[in-house]
Amino acid sequence: MAITLKIQRFLGEKKWEQEYRLEVETGMTVLGALIKIKETMDPTLTFTASCRSSICGACAVKVNDNAVLACETLLADLLKRYASDTLTIAPLGNFTVLRDLMVDWQPKYDRLKKIKPALQPKTEFSASEGCRQSKDEFKKYSKNSECILCGSCVSECNKSNLNSKDFLDPFIFSKAAKFVADSRDKDAVAHLEPAVKDGLWKCLNCQECAAKCPKGLSPAEDIEKMRIATFEKKMSSNEGSDHAMAFYDDVKELGRLDEAKLALKTEGLKSALRVPVAYRLMRSGKLNPLEQAKPIGDIEKVRAIMKAAKEKKL
Amino acid sequence: MSRRTFLKVGAAAGAAVVAGAYFAWPGSNIPEAVRSGSALYDVLIIGSGGAGMRAALEASKQKGIKVAVMTKMAPTRSATTMAQGGINGAARNTDTKDSPEIHAFDTVKGADYLCDQDAVAYYTEESAKMLFELDYSGIAFNRQEDGRFHQRKMGGSSYARAAYSADISGHAVLHTMFEQCLKENIDFISECQLLEIVAMNGKLSGVVAVDMRSGEMLSVPAKTVIVATGGYGRAYWVRTSNPYSSTGDGIAACLNIGIPFKDPEMVQFHPTGLASNGVLLSESSRSEGAHLLNSSGERFMARYAPKAMELGPRDLVCQSVEKEILAGRGIGEGLKAAVYLDFRHIPKAIIQERLFQVRQLALQFEGVDIFDAPAPIRGTCHYSMGGIDVVDYKTCATKIAGIYAAGECSCISVHGANRLGANSLSEVLVFGKTAGAAAAAYAKGAGYEGDKEKLKAAVAAWNRKFDETTKRSQGASVAMIRDKMAMTMWNNAGIFRNEKGLRQAMGDMQELQAMYNTCQVGDSSRTCNTAFMNYIELGNLLRLGKGIIYGGLARKESRGSHSRTDFPQRDDKNFLQHTLISKEGDGFKTEYRPVMIGQYKPVERKY
Ligand SMILES: Cc1cc2nc3c(=O)[nH]c(=O)nc-3n(C[C@H](O)[C@H](O)[C@H](O)COP(=O)(O)OP(=O)(O)OC[C@H]3O[C@@H](n4cnc5c(N)ncnc54)[C@H](O)[C@@H]3O)c2cc1C
Ligand code: SF4
Ligand code: SF4
Ligand code: FES
Repeated sequence: MAITLKIQRFLGEKKWEQEYRLEVETGMTVLGALIKIKETMDPTLTFTASCRSSICGACAVKVNDNAVLACETLLADLLKRYASDTLTIAPLGNFTVLRDLMVDWQPKYDRLKKIKPALQPKTEFSASEGCRQSKDEFKKYSKNSECILCGSCVSECNKSNLNSKDFLDPFIFSKAAKFVADSRDKDAVAHLEPAVKDGLWKCLNCQECAAKCPKGLSPAEDIEKMRIATFEKKMSSNEGSDHAMAFYDDVKELGRLDEAKLALKTEGLKSALRVPVAYRLMRSGKLNPLEQAKPIGDIEKVRAIMKAAKEKKL
Repeated sequence: MSRRTFLKVGAAAGAAVVAGAYFAWPGSNIPEAVRSGSALYDVLIIGSGGAGMRAALEASKQKGIKVAVMTKMAPTRSATTMAQGGINGAARNTDTKDSPEIHAFDTVKGADYLCDQDAVAYYTEESAKMLFELDYSGIAFNRQEDGRFHQRKMGGSSYARAAYSADISGHAVLHTMFEQCLKENIDFISECQLLEIVAMNGKLSGVVAVDMRSGEMLSVPAKTVIVATGGYGRAYWVRTSNPYSSTGDGIAACLNIGIPFKDPEMVQFHPTGLASNGVLLSESSRSEGAHLLNSSGERFMARYAPKAMELGPRDLVCQSVEKEILAGRGIGEGLKAAVYLDFRHIPKAIIQERLFQVRQLALQFEGVDIFDAPAPIRGTCHYSMGGIDVVDYKTCATKIAGIYAAGECSCISVHGANRLGANSLSEVLVFGKTAGAAAAAYAKGAGYEGDKEKLKAAVAAWNRKFDETTKRSQGASVAMIRDKMAMTMWNNAGIFRNEKGLRQAMGDMQELQAMYNTCQVGDSSRTCNTAFMNYIELGNLLRLGKGIIYGGLARKESRGSHSRTDFPQRDDKNFLQHTLISKEGDGFKTEYRPVMIGQYKPVERKY
């Protein structure tokens, strides 16, 4: 069947949308279609791809506003999902566009450097004999080592959309979390500190990143784990709570949350001890700041839940 | 309104600003000094695969040495990241009976004796150590009970020797190297495609490259250059497991300045490429016990390698697959003909733990879930044993002082006529390290002897070429010439070869070259002109393809991956030699150099 791809094009100062119509062949991926267009219709269409087997991370683009790996996404599936023969293709969000679908990774690498993105092996290990680690310890971080740096997670990250200056990209948090969870690393705090400094408490927990990651990572969950780790590592509580406040300020920027904020304030969010409690509450959905429309009559229930959270029962 | 949708709506206002904020952005992919022309590198590495990054890490250990890695894409997009099965080294974690000597013997035998045994001994010695180094650098190696990294047995290995990270071992290696590069603050010259190495009268001046973003032709003076640009598998275009970037650019650049292309005919075909598009199903499939079946469900390897069965070396297994298809015992027809790879007897838990990528690829491209049905597979061009002629394995030096080569683009030669599974990743790291150390040491003791005027002249010539070729509005398209090239290479210089076919391919390539000379690029913008990039790559593939054919014609024997139906026997008397193809006028000349034989005397290979 024939489909129409509306592709967002960028070149120099110019920006336009261009339509291409082509026949879908069986097994044709989005990348297959882009290649077909470039080779048979328009050699100027620009995108990047290398492995065509979902492992190099070069080909992520937005289809109908959702980031996907072009090389693994079958057109037939998309047509079914959107029940339409027209798809819109655009470069990833939260990246600077270089041309058409090609985006600039360089600033991301500079940011990646901030979280000390390399193992700091414990002193009992050596380059001549390697490290020791149990299978269970390995499992704690191995998923995070599967990140292919494709950028899908940041494309629709709501926090990055609002303001990415004070917030590292989701995959960068996942990278930091990898080292925090790796039993071979001697100093989790060295990875945690920069994460805290650059937005650990500002994630909105909207789960877009986890929904978009083609490799099944969950930066959102990694962020949660690291937040908890900051308390386990007894990192300066003031810092933690300040950032928790900043988190709420961010949500506030979105223009909501009064009641929830009130409830939290009643319990005294500024007190360092309460931060993980409040945090656990949010996590478990018992105190969702955005859906707290319940009247104050429920406050006793809320307090009970918060008490449970404090006792780590949630 | 759910929380998620609410956030989406709330954030949309912010997003609109971001999307509207498009502007031309040169970015910081290139260090300022390179753009302004004032940079002089001690060690300039071309290619950011495992070899290039490892070289950079080693070279930068030398104090006061200026190092950079140039790469044509973003740094983490390479063939290295695609490696699946594992990385060999006789670390003896899993099998204490293993040793570097046994690893060397397996490698030499796998190579069908066309490798230099002194280089192999060095390689196996170093690769055993290198696995521990990698572990210490933070790679996510799968573990065994005692807490050490676990090793699995790959095709052609006597013992369990390959450390691995599920079935994404190369990805693990590459990202570990990248992490180390970030930590060491290695300079990357990103999205810059090498066009030419400038060296005259044996003196290196530096390189010319095109900055993808601005389209500017850059000249980068350097005291030493390490070429680490990967293989040339894309000469077979669709029937290859290689990434789009494996176009042999560095080998072509070396050929142009008089460094020979060694053993070009030695191209490895991997037996288990997906039938539809050549994408690889890892060799770990077979090491985890998958069976090869023909159309009647028979495990046909019993006919060709009764002892090793599916775990025979790649060349043998691949040729067996092809023989089954030729004998009519395959499924499907033409380029889509195939046999089956069957996983159904392997516990699902094992597949989930160790072969999840394999399962995903089969599902995606063939619509087959390997839990329930066998996957259709056929040979696919996988690895380039041939490459830049390295004359000293202890330094990775080529015949031109200051130019080094490491990784798949090089021919040292460790893999001879056939590389064993999991031997490349370790070769890449061992010799990347070796080349990095040697180049840094050389640069430390040497001044810049190049000629910046020559570099400038080369830049001017490339600018003219860009304008001229991108202006054309007539002529064949790059893709059309490329597909014809792939077709003749696969049919005539593929798994089985003979005089008639190779001559046919030679004629075809000549015609294609003529078409190429007047073909159209189709995009005249200087900004991120990937069409121009593809045009340059095709030019390189045409040259290297011709090299494969030349080498194949001259080697009148069958050895390892080079299988001549008109000369089915190995001929040690005449061909225990490396082929050296070098430029002569507009054409090539063929010379030979004897193989270095050590303690393992050539005998017939049996598996
Ligand atoms: C699907 C697959 C599976 C594999 N599985 C295994 C395995 O299990 N075990 C194993 O040992 N080996 C395996 N291999 C082989 C192994 O991955 C490669 O041989 C090895 O990684 C090559 O590394 P390299 O550093 O030499 O080159 P590459 O990783 O190919 O890197 C080349 C680099 O050079 C750059 N480059 C190229 N041309 C230019 C230019 N003109 N200008 C600038 N930069 C340029 C590229 O962008 C890239 O960064 C596999 C290969 C494939 C394709
Ligand atoms: S959960 Fe956090 S990191 Fe993930 S997309 Fe939402 S805001 Fe971004
Ligand atoms: S976390 Fe997932 S989506 Fe994000 S860059 Fe890594 S692989 Fe891509
Ligand atoms: S092309 Fe490599 S992930 Fe899609």
